[in-house]
Amino acid sequence: MITFDNLSGIDHLTVAGALSVASLPICPGGAVNCQVSLRDLFDRAVILSHYIHNLSSEMFNEFDKRYAQGRGFITKAINSCHTSSLSTPEDKEQAQQIHHEDLLNLVLRVLRSWNDPLYHLVAEVRGMQEAPDAILSRAIEIEEQNKRLLEGMEKIVGQVHPGIRENEVYSVWSGLPSLQMADEDSRLFAFYNLLHCLRRDSHKIDNYLKLLKCRIIYDSNC
Amino acid sequence: MDLHWHHLLDTEYGDSSGKPKFTKCRSPELETFSCHWTDGVHHGLKHPGSVQLFYIRRSTQEWTQEWKECPDYVSAGENSCYFNSSYTSIWIPYCIKLTSNGGTVDQKCFSVEEIVQPDPPIGLNWTLLNISLTGIHADIQVRWEPPPNADVQKGWIVLEYELQYKEVNETQWKMMDPVLSTSVPVYSLRLDKEYEVRVRSRQRNSEKYGEFSEVLYVTLPQTSLFACEEDFQLPWFLIIIFGLFGLMVMLFVFVFSKQQRIKMLILPPVPVPKIKGIDPDLLKEGKLEEVNTILAIHDNYKPEFYNDDSWVEFIELDIDDPDEKAEGSDTDRLLSNDHQKSLNILGAKDDDSGRTSCYEPDILETDFNASDVCDGTSEVAQPQRLKGEADLVCLDQKNQNNSLYPDASPATQQPSVVLAEESKPRPCLVVGTESTHQAAHTQLSNPSSLANIDFYAQVSDITPAGSVVLSPGQKNKAGISQCDVHPELVSLCQANFIMDNAYFCEADAKKCIAVVPHVEIESHVEPSFNQEDIYITAESLTTTAGRSGTAERAPDAELPVPDYTSIHIVQCPQGLILNATALPLPDKEFLSSCGYVSTDQLNKLMP
Repeated sequence: MITFDNLSGIDHLTVAGALSVASLPICPGGAVNCQVSLRDLFDRAVILSHYIHNLSSEMFNEFDKRYAQGRGFITKAINSCHTSSLSTPEDKEQAQQIHHEDLLNLVLRVLRSWNDPLYHLVAEVRGMQEAPDAILSRAIEIEEQNKRLLEGMEKIVGQVHPGIRENEVYSVWSGLPSLQMADEDSRLFAFYNLLHCLRRDSHKIDNYLKLLKCRIIYDSNC
Repeated sequence: MDLHWHHLLDTEYGDSSGKPKFTKCRSPELETFSCHWTDGVHHGLKHPGSVQLFYIRRSTQEWTQEWKECPDYVSAGENSCYFNSSYTSIWIPYCIKLTSNGGTVDQKCFSVEEIVQPDPPIGLNWTLLNISLTGIHADIQVRWEPPPNADVQKGWIVLEYELQYKEVNETQWKMMDPVLSTSVPVYSLRLDKEYEVRVRSRQRNSEKYGEFSEVLYVTLPQTSLFACEEDFQLPWFLIIIFGLFGLMVMLFVFVFSKQQRIKMLILPPVPVPKIKGIDPDLLKEGKLEEVNTILAIHDNYKPEFYNDDSWVEFIELDIDDPDEKAEGSDTDRLLSNDHQKSLNILGAKDDDSGRTSCYEPDILETDFNASDVCDGTSEVAQPQRLKGEADLVCLDQKNQNNSLYPDASPATQQPSVVLAEESKPRPCLVVGTESTHQAAHTQLSNPSSLANIDFYAQVSDITPAGSVVLSPGQKNKAGISQCDVHPELVSLCQANFIMDNAYFCEADAKKCIAVVPHVEIESHVEPSFNQEDIYITAESLTTTAGRSGTAERAPDAELPVPDYTSIHIVQCPQGLILNATALPLPDKEFLSSCGYVSTDQLNKLMP
């Protein structure tokens, strides 16, 4: 049983997340033909996605508390995220109708689309004035876990839908200039937006994976 | 912003609730959502019900430009708008606004996944797990069902639950940690009480909980009346009291017991400083001879001791130890001082061991005679205990090849350094920094010896009187005494002064004293001395001397300074170190190897 307290410190989450991931069985030391079962792969993927979403929520809240107060960011029109171009299901019906292979591919696309922004996020947060450690540490952790989740998902796709490998499609992120703007307000708004999008997308991925897990592993009977 | 409007409203309408505002938007299952608002009091200015809600949502990268009206004002109750699943898109930004008679009164933007607050769980029940052996406590398992509208089976939403319970007549609910499963054990409920249990849920990763479920009443089966009324509590208080009491009794027994052994075991006595083999009484009684012999034996070991330390330059007396490791370079350096080389070592062999001789035990017996630089002095009176130091002290001399000690000419004798007792630094101490005075005359060796001064000195021993014998290297703390020295005296006492860590043998001092008996050093000296213990290193002496710039200052080879030398107090030019044997000692508390002299003794000694 995994418990995640609200707004618990990064340490708590890290430990919980790391432990939960670490506790999953793994192929013993490089055995050939090792096949981690699909169930384990999904379990691990769901744990990771949940962890990432938690971190991004906290990171967003931290940022909001620290930098966005009184700036009325939220009342500004919520900008689109760079992953909006990927046509992902927007409610349960759509998600249930889509085929799980396509859904898996979509998940992969979203994950890939975040590789670049996360990398730059970490770099830019580091360069921020008085880089808040709460935000920076989470950003670093998210970046790493995102890579791991991507690897895991690719393994899953390899097992669920072997053979066909789609081209690496993903959304290009072009928000780096806005993160580096000289104007403090604009820059902070760009950060706010990016973190908001990250929280949203991590929730999306988490939801899709849970849905897929229940559908594929438990036959819609979680 | 809202507050601002609110305030405006107040002023305008003179009333606190004016405008309709959104209170809450909520999605219970991530498939639909509804928004609620308060209906402002209009004071009859407007009809109620003219409030409208419009929404707009972004779809595929652009906002639909028009605001659409709420599809359902009814299903969610009054002053609410319900969006069913066809109007609900997750992960899509929505903005809603409330209008009253065409004017926007409130606006809000959000995404549906941010406003999830599930319905309460249903179907709470409990089962008894077990009863404790004492029949006082029991464990139960509480189960429930997730809210019906949440699609947990397909994994669309994942919920976690929080259970709270309390006794019926309590006011504070006890909370348990959130759990993911729909059943949870509750431990340690008392059998004679009735409990209430309630559960609420929230979406994992969210912050907001939904409403609480209905309260479940848990009435545990009553057990037999033989059950203890109260738990047995260890009487901690009594245990502590008795324990302390016992400890104190034991302590008193030990402390006051006559059994020395036990007492020593529990409260070991603090060792007082003493020298092995020497009975302090001996010193008190003035039986210096005995003490000397004892020390002589004792001191024999000192060279060895020092030999082991690489950082200790130890000048052995030839008499004792021909193969003294000697001083190595330091002493050579010391010896390089031509000036000093001229002096020959008193009495003792003429080899390069510039022994201080003063400290030679055998020399002790010899009469002090002028020609004997150090002979007379050191020896005698003082309890030899510092023989070792004496060696050190005179080490320079040794190195210098006797240079330090003028042969037979007291005049050349350098002022000895005498380690003063705390009391009055009677002697003119040429120490330390301010050697403004003629102390300078004491031809202390090169000022450059300063360079060789060590900043740390080793305490070689503690005199019975309490002063500390230091190895060379310590700066002296005492001020420099002003000594008026006649020039001739100066010359007289220009013993080849030992360098930095030079010790002046009492012999030297005595010589000086003898030569210049009348120096009113004391008068001068006294003021300058403080009460503090005076430890003067030869170097400081030399320094001062150096500073004073005695004429005689020889180029002074830097005598290699041993790392540690004992300190003597240098008395002013005449360097008086009183030697107990040489001078009448009224009292017997005379200490010094080459050089501790209590100031009163010094006084007495001084003619």
